Amino acid sequence: MIHEYLEIGLFLTAVALMMFGFPVAFTLAGTALAFALLGQWFGIFQFRQLNFLPQRIFGIMSNDVLIAAPLFIYMGLMLEKSRVAEDLLLTMTRLFGGLRGGLALSVVLVGMLMAASTGIVGATVVTMGLIALPVMLRQGYDPRLATGVICASGTLGQIIPPSIVLVFLGDILTYANQQANLKSGSTGTSVGVGDLFAGSLVPGLLLVAAYALYVVVLAWLRPSTAPAMLDDPDAPAISSRERWAMFWSGLVAPGALVIAVLGSILGGIATPTEAAAVGAIGATLLAGIRVAPGRDRRLMLVGVVAAIALMVMNGFFNLLLLRDDFSPLETAMLWLSFALLASVTLGIALSLWHVLRLGVLTSVVQSTARICGMIFAILVGASLFSLTFRGLGGEETVHNLLASLPGGLTGAMFFVMALMFLMGFFLDFLEIVFILVPIVGPTLILLGADPVWLGVMIAVNLQTSFLTPPFGFALFFLRGVAPPTVTTQQIYAGIIPFVAIQVLMLGVIAAFPGLATGLPNLLFR
Amino acid sequence: MRLLDMTITLLDGLTAVVGRMVSWLVLYMVVVTFANVVLRYMYGISNIAMIETVLYAFAVVMAATPGWTLQRNEHVRIDIFYGTQPPRTKAAIDLAGSLLLLFPVLWVIWSSAVPYVQRSWRLQETSSDVSGLPYVFALKGLILVFVMVLAVQGLAFALRNLRVLITGQGNTPAVPAGSGT
Repeated sequence: MIHEYLEIGLFLTAVALMMFGFPVAFTLAGTALAFALLGQWFGIFQFRQLNFLPQRIFGIMSNDVLIAAPLFIYMGLMLEKSRVAEDLLLTMTRLFGGLRGGLALSVVLVGMLMAASTGIVGATVVTMGLIALPVMLRQGYDPRLATGVICASGTLGQIIPPSIVLVFLGDILTYANQQANLKSGSTGTSVGVGDLFAGSLVPGLLLVAAYALYVVVLAWLRPSTAPAMLDDPDAPAISSRERWAMFWSGLVAPGALVIAVLGSILGGIATPTEAAAVGAIGATLLAGIRVAPGRDRRLMLVGVVAAIALMVMNGFFNLLLLRDDFSPLETAMLWLSFALLASVTLGIALSLWHVLRLGVLTSVVQSTARICGMIFAILVGASLFSLTFRGLGGEETVHNLLASLPGGLTGAMFFVMALMFLMGFFLDFLEIVFILVPIVGPTLILLGADPVWLGVMIAVNLQTSFLTPPFGFALFFLRGVAPPTVTTQQIYAGIIPFVAIQVLMLGVIAAFPGLATGLPNLLFR
Repeated sequence: MRLLDMTITLLDGLTAVVGRMVSWLVLYMVVVTFANVVLRYMYGISNIAMIETVLYAFAVVMAATPGWTLQRNEHVRIDIFYGTQPPRTKAAIDLAGSLLLLFPVLWVIWSSAVPYVQRSWRLQETSSDVSGLPYVFALKGLILVFVMVLAVQGLAFALRNLRVLITGQGNTPAVPAGSGT
């Protein structure tokens, strides 16, 4: 009978209605509501079950894991809107442009660095599309290679930690893992956002290497597609002193920030949220230093040096307050640390003032706030959806379906991955993470999937959802900023080799789960 | 039509004012979390109430901005079909979506949240964490704020699209002047 398939109907109807283009969050929720009524009509769903909704929404609001997300978004937007990211790209192209395929290679490397610092796909693709694409085209690059490499590198932010997707994915997998443990009665290992960050590092870097290898091989086999850069007549001449300044402020400083943020998480020192706050303040300082005039800039640089000195001091001396056995040296060091802290505070305050003065800060906090609103709406929509889906018996349906596939975990995993890949053609990562992962996650873990490995597989798979036409976010963003001489067909054709690399990488991680689980096991378990 | 425009402008203005004010809490979250990192790792001081204010700030930002996000058309849409349509078709989709999807959802959330929040307010519910902030009832009240901001902007959104349907003009008084980026 028809009412036995209501949960499948809900899923398909929601996806179909989304295609009309009304905001996804409300489409999900509204469709769920309609099916809840249908279920009530057929007597297989109690509308009262929706009274759990406020509890769910409260659960989202009081989930402290998610706080890392706005802080990382702030950090990324600050680097983008203050044009620190732009400097990074310019410096890279200067460094590598002279090599055959060098421009494409620097796009890959900048993609990696920006991925590690911002993780915001739209910002990265647009920045590179505006700056690197015209240069590459002028130097005679094949437009397909030029656009493909920008889109693919721009989406590295999904997989290279710290990534916002991994924050959400980690949170959902934590819950899925608990449920799986409850059902199997075992006290399996717990998994968190930090595990996922560590797990995705090696696969992410492998992906970077694969992109780079593809570019190098192509440039070597067919030099006409990726020629070495000739001296750009439009570029003003720069002195070697300026070149050094560019190198420091454009490459070393953002690079150090990225390493500090990532290192403190992977080293188990800081939680993702704490590291994100440090990254956000660091990005503000970089932005301030970039835009401020001479005297203030020097004060900010002093602040940065003081911050580094503080960290070094903290390693050598015990500065913990709330005790009364201070040695004279410790007392002196304590006062010194207060002085250094004052300098750091001054630097931060000045940076904030300067980015505020230029309107960057306002724009960053406002964009961040609206992105939070967008994410919250999707989370609320998805919880209404999953409440109804479960109420209609969808969980059992999915479990029975996955468990009945031949090949056990391999078969189920293959099915889920194929489904995600296909959904990725139409939906983007937020919807897939919030709709599909809570449904299939517990079952896959029950079937024996390692949660970290599962998370990394999903992340790599979802990265392709940004790249696959017709609705790949990255392609969309690039189309928006690419010159009209580049046709949409060229953008679509250019992305194919990179999607192939992506699928290949998925196979490699599936075959060698140690690539994903090795580092977290080493660090945390 | 004048009345319609005035209503839209009023609702839009309200949405943007709330959004812009609330967005500064993002900076608060950054600064306080950072200060907490310094105090904890350098001086071994940790203040749970201070950390919880960040959670509260985040909850306020999440609950109070979705309307503003809607106004700026920044909720995720699937653009394959929608993006290629003329303004009138877009307006028809958005109006139908508001009436059939958005408003029923808001109504259900509201009607299930009111008793939930009332119970919490009556008890003046506090944090389960001993040293946490004792304002859990306020936090729960934010669910109603979420519904309200979306209702206000949802109404403006629906009216704006109705206006496009009537007049056939794509240019709408969507964003009031001087609302920044």
